[in-house]
Amino acid sequence: MKSAIRLGMVVVSVLAVIGLMAPVGALAAEAVKIGVIYPLTGGAAAEGRELRAGAELAAEIINAVYKNISMDMAKSQGIKSLGSAKIELVFKDHEGNPTLGADLAKKLILDDKVVGIMGCYHSAVTKTVSAVCEQYGVPMINDSSTSPDLTKRGFKWFWRTTPHDTTFTTDLFNFLKGLTEGKAKGVKAVPKAQIQNLASACEKTEWGSNVSALIESFAKEYGFTVKKSILYAAKSTDLSSEVGSLKAVKPDVMLFASYASDAILMLKTLKAQKAQPKVLWGQDAGFEAPEFKDTLRDDIVGVLTRTVFLPKVASVKKVAGEVDGFYQKKVGHSLSGASARAFTGVQAWAAVLEKAGSTKPADIQKAANAIKIPADQLIVPWQGIQFATSGEDIGQNILGSGMIGQYQKDKDGKISLEIAYPFDLATANLIFPFPGY
Amino acid sequence: METLKSALDFSDFPRLDLVVAGSLAILFLIFPVFPHSSFAMATMIQFLMFSLYGMGWNTIGGYGGQVDLGKAQYVGIGAYTTTVMLVRWDIPFWFSMPVGVCFAVLWSFVLGYPLFRLKGHYFAIATIATSLVLKDLFEVWDFVGAARGLEISPIKFPPPDFLRLIFKEDVYYYDVILGFFFVGILYMNWFRKSRLGFQLRAIKDNEEVARSLGINVHWAKIKTYAIATAFVSVVGSFHACYIKNIEPEDTMSLDISILIALMAMLGGAGSLWGPIIGAGILIPLKSYLKEWLGATAGLIGIDLILYALIIMVISAFEPRGIWGIVQKVRRRRQ
Repeated sequence: MKSAIRLGMVVVSVLAVIGLMAPVGALAAEAVKIGVIYPLTGGAAAEGRELRAGAELAAEIINAVYKNISMDMAKSQGIKSLGSAKIELVFKDHEGNPTLGADLAKKLILDDKVVGIMGCYHSAVTKTVSAVCEQYGVPMINDSSTSPDLTKRGFKWFWRTTPHDTTFTTDLFNFLKGLTEGKAKGVKAVPKAQIQNLASACEKTEWGSNVSALIESFAKEYGFTVKKSILYAAKSTDLSSEVGSLKAVKPDVMLFASYASDAILMLKTLKAQKAQPKVLWGQDAGFEAPEFKDTLRDDIVGVLTRTVFLPKVASVKKVAGEVDGFYQKKVGHSLSGASARAFTGVQAWAAVLEKAGSTKPADIQKAANAIKIPADQLIVPWQGIQFATSGEDIGQNILGSGMIGQYQKDKDGKISLEIAYPFDLATANLIFPFPGY
Repeated sequence: METLKSALDFSDFPRLDLVVAGSLAILFLIFPVFPHSSFAMATMIQFLMFSLYGMGWNTIGGYGGQVDLGKAQYVGIGAYTTTVMLVRWDIPFWFSMPVGVCFAVLWSFVLGYPLFRLKGHYFAIATIATSLVLKDLFEVWDFVGAARGLEISPIKFPPPDFLRLIFKEDVYYYDVILGFFFVGILYMNWFRKSRLGFQLRAIKDNEEVARSLGINVHWAKIKTYAIATAFVSVVGSFHACYIKNIEPEDTMSLDISILIALMAMLGGAGSLWGPIIGAGILIPLKSYLKEWLGATAGLIGIDLILYALIIMVISAFEPRGIWGIVQKVRRRRQ
């Protein structure tokens, strides 16, 4: 009897140990670390907060089951092909400094042993970080830098989900052309002479200077005249002389590439100097940061900005509405272009890891080159994600597209972005000309 | 031979200083052998780079008492010369670096002649202005990549390449910059005891008296400014190969000029060890505060507050910097 009890106890103990071990085994799938380098302090800290919140939300959805979100990655916990391993984002702050970015990339690769890297918003920082990744053979998915040159370097370890500035600038000139053809919602055809003269002011790092060059080349192609084109320091505390020189050429269309703090300062200075352009357009970034809207309020009614996400997209795309609702609950406001792109970047990482079924760089590289994420899985209004594997733009998502939004005031006095371009998706009549100050 | 003897002669320092300095030198030499993180290695490289920048600044700013806040322009000249020569004509670092020094020294003569007619705050402001103007010019100069800058592509220039100073592992960069660092210390040790070194200290104490002793004050300042420039330019060239990407906003910003002056001032301007102590405290402090607190949600920016607080406390306690505190303690003991 005693030995039977003993045997029973042994069996129970063994089963208990196995029982204890089973969940450990299930949890044993180590978290997959992705290094995320963003500007969390400095001039673009506002955008950094947005980017971080977007990336964190995506990781949360990947790591748990959310039945009310109709995305494949929300239906299971973690990365299935890696034993349900969770995604762990390791954030670093580059302050907009390319040198610091490169150091952080090395730290993430060598010390934190991340599987891959994502970031960095500032194209100049993405340039140095991607060079480090290329040297170490570590995959990097860029979610939010739009300088076209980044994917023209023939790198084998660099992929970009967001469309770049060539796409966005094409959208801008198609928008201006459409305006002259009467395609804009609620606006009769505008004689080209009324919007012939352009002036641009862009911040002077990799991103802004590229935008400035693109505006000049597209203007020639589309038959517009760039009367003035200036580059300025995003850290500037005074932009009066810049605005003064823009105003001096009496432009019909004013175009900007600015981060948050300088975009706000630029608009305040434009108001102070009573600038009267007919179109005022910003190349995303600062022009759609929540701070931009909250600080300037009524002064931005009529301002246009290119973006990849507008809350209005939620009305056309179910999945965008679901994620936007979740984001609003967590952060207190709607997704912006920055947070939506960060979200999509992490989503792309999850999809690539799922396809690779391994954390070996070579397997990830193979998977990234072969991946195709369908449009219905994305919150951004793109046709999907598929990276170019040959040609000039290696690693660029060939299915991305841009939008142009316009700040408008609704009946309740709330200011929000309405879709102005593509014209067939327009959600409100375009305010033209810009009401001015 | 006499120069080398003088450079190697540290006998006027107290024994304790030499023991500490010697131990640190050995530590620096064996640092790569010990297990270390890549972050620690990057911090050490930054420390050595800023020590050298500081040593350069210390000649004119410390010994000469001329507050120069425009050193970033010479970082830029060194960095751009090396990168342009490498990217456009495939000329290796060890050849382009001295060429960069020549350009920087030449530019320092062009600027130094009129600038040293100015004194005190006016000189400091003028150095800032010249540096910013040069940066603005580089930002619109297409030949050097304008505002977008230039990249040393890892595909076009694969590592390891000692001649072009292209490595994958930071340890090789550490070895090179450590070599420059030791040469820099020896040079500074010679400089402080040289005729020019004494002339500068006389100028710093009283320019009129120095002039009455027959010192050509203007020429002495210009010469020293050129020496300071050479130091900075060498490190600028190194920086280009280390980072492999340069652009005016990153390489020639006012922040760099201020940081260079700040390290030397905080460590102790006008002393051999001052710039090294300044860089040795501020660089790790900045890096590690950022690493521990920088990206932590809810604490973003607190690293900068702490960093600024430490600088304010040290400068309020002893305006002559940390080396001043050490000397004060020593005097009290004596």
